[in-house]
Amino acid sequence: MDDLEKAIVISFDSTDSALKSQAVSYCQQIKETPSICSICIEKLWFSKVVQVQFWCLQTLQDVLSVKYVSMSSDEKTYVRKSVFSMACLEVIDNENAVRVVEGPPFVKNKLAQVLVTLIYFEYPLIWPSVFLDFMPHLSKGAVFIDMFCRVLNSLDDELISLDYPRTPEETSVAARVKDAMRQQCVPQIVRAWYEIVSLYWNSDPDLSATVLDCMRRFVSWIDITLVANGVFVPLLFELILSDGLSDQVRGAAAGCVLAMVSKRMDPPSKLSLLQTLQISRVFGLVSGDVDSELVSAISALLTGYAVEVLECHKRLNSEETKALSMDFLNEVLPSVFYVMQNCEVDSTFSIVQFLQGYLSALRTLPALKEKQLLHITQILEVIRIQICYDPMYRNNLNSLDKVGLEEEDRMSEFRKDLFVLLRAVGRVAPEVTQHFIRNSLANAVKSSSERNVEEVEAALSLLYSFGESMTEEAMKSGSGCLSELIPMLLTTPFPCHSHRLVALVYLEIITRYMKFIQENSQHIPNVLGAFLDDRGLHHQNVYVSRRACYLFMRVVKLLKSKLVPFIDEILQSVQDTLSQLTTMNFASRGLSGTEDGSHIFEAIGLIIGLEDVPAEKQADYLSLLLTPLCQQIEAGLVQARVANSEDFPVKIANIQFAIVAINALSKGFSERLVTASRPGIGLMFKQTLDVLLRVLTEFPKVEPLRSKVTSFIHRMVDTLGSSVFPYLPKALEHLLADSEPKDVVGFLVLLNQLICKFNSALCEILEEVYPVVAGRIFNVIPRDGIPSRPGAVTEEMRELIELQRTLYTFLHVIATHDLSSVFLTPKSREYLNHMMHLLLYSCCNHKDITVRKACVQIFIKLVKDWCAKPYNEEKVPGFQNFMIDTFATNCCLHSVLDKSFDFSDATTHALFGEIITVQKVMYEKFGNAFLMHLMSKTFPLVHMPQDLAEQYCQKLQGNDIRGFKSYYQSLIENLRLQQNGSHVFR
Amino acid sequence: MALPNQQTVDYPSFKLVIVGDGGTGKTTFVKRHLTGEFEKKYEPTIGVEVHPLDFFTNCGKIRFYCWDTAGQEKFGGLRDGYYIHGQCAIIMFDVTARLTYKNVPTWHRDLCRVCENIPIVLCGNKVDVKNRQVKAKQVTFHRKKNLQYYEISAKSNYNFEKPFLYLARKLAGDANLHFVESPALAPPEVQIDMAAQQQHEAELAAAASQPLPDDDDDTFE
Repeated sequence: MDDLEKAIVISFDSTDSALKSQAVSYCQQIKETPSICSICIEKLWFSKVVQVQFWCLQTLQDVLSVKYVSMSSDEKTYVRKSVFSMACLEVIDNENAVRVVEGPPFVKNKLAQVLVTLIYFEYPLIWPSVFLDFMPHLSKGAVFIDMFCRVLNSLDDELISLDYPRTPEETSVAARVKDAMRQQCVPQIVRAWYEIVSLYWNSDPDLSATVLDCMRRFVSWIDITLVANGVFVPLLFELILSDGLSDQVRGAAAGCVLAMVSKRMDPPSKLSLLQTLQISRVFGLVSGDVDSELVSAISALLTGYAVEVLECHKRLNSEETKALSMDFLNEVLPSVFYVMQNCEVDSTFSIVQFLQGYLSALRTLPALKEKQLLHITQILEVIRIQICYDPMYRNNLNSLDKVGLEEEDRMSEFRKDLFVLLRAVGRVAPEVTQHFIRNSLANAVKSSSERNVEEVEAALSLLYSFGESMTEEAMKSGSGCLSELIPMLLTTPFPCHSHRLVALVYLEIITRYMKFIQENSQHIPNVLGAFLDDRGLHHQNVYVSRRACYLFMRVVKLLKSKLVPFIDEILQSVQDTLSQLTTMNFASRGLSGTEDGSHIFEAIGLIIGLEDVPAEKQADYLSLLLTPLCQQIEAGLVQARVANSEDFPVKIANIQFAIVAINALSKGFSERLVTASRPGIGLMFKQTLDVLLRVLTEFPKVEPLRSKVTSFIHRMVDTLGSSVFPYLPKALEHLLADSEPKDVVGFLVLLNQLICKFNSALCEILEEVYPVVAGRIFNVIPRDGIPSRPGAVTEEMRELIELQRTLYTFLHVIATHDLSSVFLTPKSREYLNHMMHLLLYSCCNHKDITVRKACVQIFIKLVKDWCAKPYNEEKVPGFQNFMIDTFATNCCLHSVLDKSFDFSDATTHALFGEIITVQKVMYEKFGNAFLMHLMSKTFPLVHMPQDLAEQYCQKLQGNDIRGFKSYYQSLIENLRLQQNGSHVFR
Repeated sequence: MALPNQQTVDYPSFKLVIVGDGGTGKTTFVKRHLTGEFEKKYEPTIGVEVHPLDFFTNCGKIRFYCWDTAGQEKFGGLRDGYYIHGQCAIIMFDVTARLTYKNVPTWHRDLCRVCENIPIVLCGNKVDVKNRQVKAKQVTFHRKKNLQYYEISAKSNYNFEKPFLYLARKLAGDANLHFVESPALAPPEVQIDMAAQQQHEAELAAAASQPLPDDDDDTFE
């Protein structure tokens, strides 16, 4: 070995870092020498070390691709001749020459890559004969054929195939190479392929497979008649159908047929090509061992064929061709269904997409034939098989551990498309679909197979999903076999009902098909049974029992008064659930959020809150429920007072849940019932409110309690109406005490509700509350609002932003409910200035356009309220001046002139409308004082030409508000042009 | 398969080549495995880091020598020379950078030129980032080439073991092989959730007139 060879070996394999570093830089140095090409070629002829061979070829490839243009033509010729000789083992002088083509695959592939790099630069202009030169060598044996295939494959990979990103230059070279090959040598190459395969398929099947795999890559761009003809096609099918042959060759032959089938062609020629194939010959091959390479190749061929036939059917218009393609489809479909149901389908084939396409084709037919109905059933069977869970996940899914959760997520994503397909089938053939679902359910229930849990779940899921597309009418009338299916479902015991998935989908189905139950109330006892016994609320799996709480509430909402006869029964059954939920320690409750079980209280509330329940009974029921809950709260308060810091959160959580439960319970009672027809009930809620307000007194600073009690007050405002009034001062006082910014948000939302509900009746309360709230808020919100900064926002900042946002709504609600006098009471006065400034600033600068609009609206209302004509003395001294001077200049003029004010944006356009309105209103109220100020002070600021200013006044005084609006917009656009960036506002 | 100066082991070991565009997280990924990080051998001369990662399967311990082929110049170094004798591979792309997915076929081609018929896993990294550019449904390359695809997040250790388990099963020819104990991984890095942050900002910028609560519990959670 010489130095270079040693260095190469060391740089691949050495143990010594320093030595290796030296070796790598030595190699690099050699690589830079001018004679590098001849060095590499010399080494390739004589070195047997594969690393050296690889390095030399890699270096040649590098040099060619980077320095080709600067190489001398002698050097190029030398490289070309040498490399080609290596590939074809053309004799050179030395008997000891090393045969690179007999080396390991990675060396041969590298050699092929070097040849392709030469082709890139030299074919067809400089080296036109490269492919033809190869041909004579192919007869010399397998080694040469293999090398030729590697070159062609590499040509495809490096240059032609559309699978890789290419530069525009590469694309044009590829076109050049393909064009030249088509003209010059493709027919010869195809003939060579044919001869090799005919010659070798028996003796060297691997080589034949290699050739066929290579050919497959070229079918898409060569003349199709070279392969799709009476010579090649019979050979391919002979191979495919030869029983004794290896799967590899047979599969490779099928791959070539698939490439022909998939070639892009006009639909009529495609159809005749498909016809000549007589594809039914291979149907028999998909059966038995479905995992074999052959079966997967044939499956891919059949699915690919079916896709193309369907495409022909879609694109062809004549009766005859449509019928022909449908015939082909009918012929191939049974095998395709077999593939879908039994085999791993080809990855490029989308089952759902294909079947959707087939259904679309069926929809164009006047009526479905028996065969097609059979296909529909097959489609349903495919869906059913696909949506089945694997039994190996059964326990994971039942306990919903990490693996189960992952699998459930995966499956529900996977099922989406299939269920869309199911519903499409349901629309094309509703009866077939229903019967299929009924049968699969019946089979699954009877089945004792290992998969029965999964089969039952799948059948139920089909039924559930099918219901989504059913019309209300069809559901009510129990069309098809629904009227048989639902009662069967309600009364059949499933052996696997204990499984979480089965129990869940079961309850979901009942809820989905409630329309049918509503019309067929004889089934109500069975529905109640399903929810109340161990299939629902009493299911052993907590995920199921909690979900049952929620679904039962939905069912109750639909059945309502139909449940009155069953009240006692229901209450009796849920008794233990209720007391369990309330006495359980929060920590052991486990699930939180919407699955906390509180919906069962809502359900009960909905039932006992009905007017149909006799008054006396209603009061009994309610007190039966409220009393323990209130007691629990009271007891909780006592315990929390003395609890240590460890127990405290638990006690609080218990109180919290009781409040949530009471709240949920109260949802079933209407305002009319509570205030008008049965004031006794109202009294009970008022007493409850008393209890809950005590929670605030005791623990004003415990946030969860505060927010739950606030929720309850919201609810009582709705339920008790104005009779809640006496409670408000105390409630508001407690809520306001010691509140943090984010508590004030909740408080403002409550005030907003109160104002919207009671309007000016709230004036007195608001006059008391407003100064306190304003003091609190303006203490933390600066006059120029919260600055919006890019980047991270702290939690504290977020709270302030939220508070500010709610404040705008609050002020807006006050103004628009005729309560603006609240701002003017002696105690409120001191905040007026701050508020005005904040509103003005927001009108002009807030980043949210809708906020700006709301603030302008507030001003419109204030002008209307405070400057009513005729007036002698100013109601709010200084207000008129503020509006005419500061507001008009900043908001109506400067903020609009700013380039960020985008007239083409819809929201901004709405804001602009308000700015127009406010000018009109100011003119109405202030008259000439407004105009005078504009003319003398405001307009000169922006160098408004006199004539435009006068036009403005005319338009403003006119009655045409739309005209004024478009005029003002063009005025602003003119002014912007005029300033032309010389005058930057603000 | 080990670098000769790396201690050899008396249990099965395999050369695993990790390729993919720069910045897709190849190095971060292998470094999650703590024993590998501990024993790693840096080879600055050839611009590759080899990390021996051990896994415990029901059939005994196995080792992957992970060749992390980072930072190589176009003209120089060994480049696809590193793939020689590779027995399995991971192709990595970054789901938040579309171009890195576009280049996957090229990495696959270059790999297959040197290593014919080895098991390969395609990994879409950084799925923890909400703002992804390559959605799971858009990833189809693996289906054409019969690769296994996993979504991973090197930063949060999500699916860290999956690629190794798949490759181990393929190499062992045993579809039921499983890991009996989890490797020690670096703890997931806590990240500021910028996406949630942006969403929050967007929500904050929403309409000023907030509707009154109708279903109070939901509003006040």
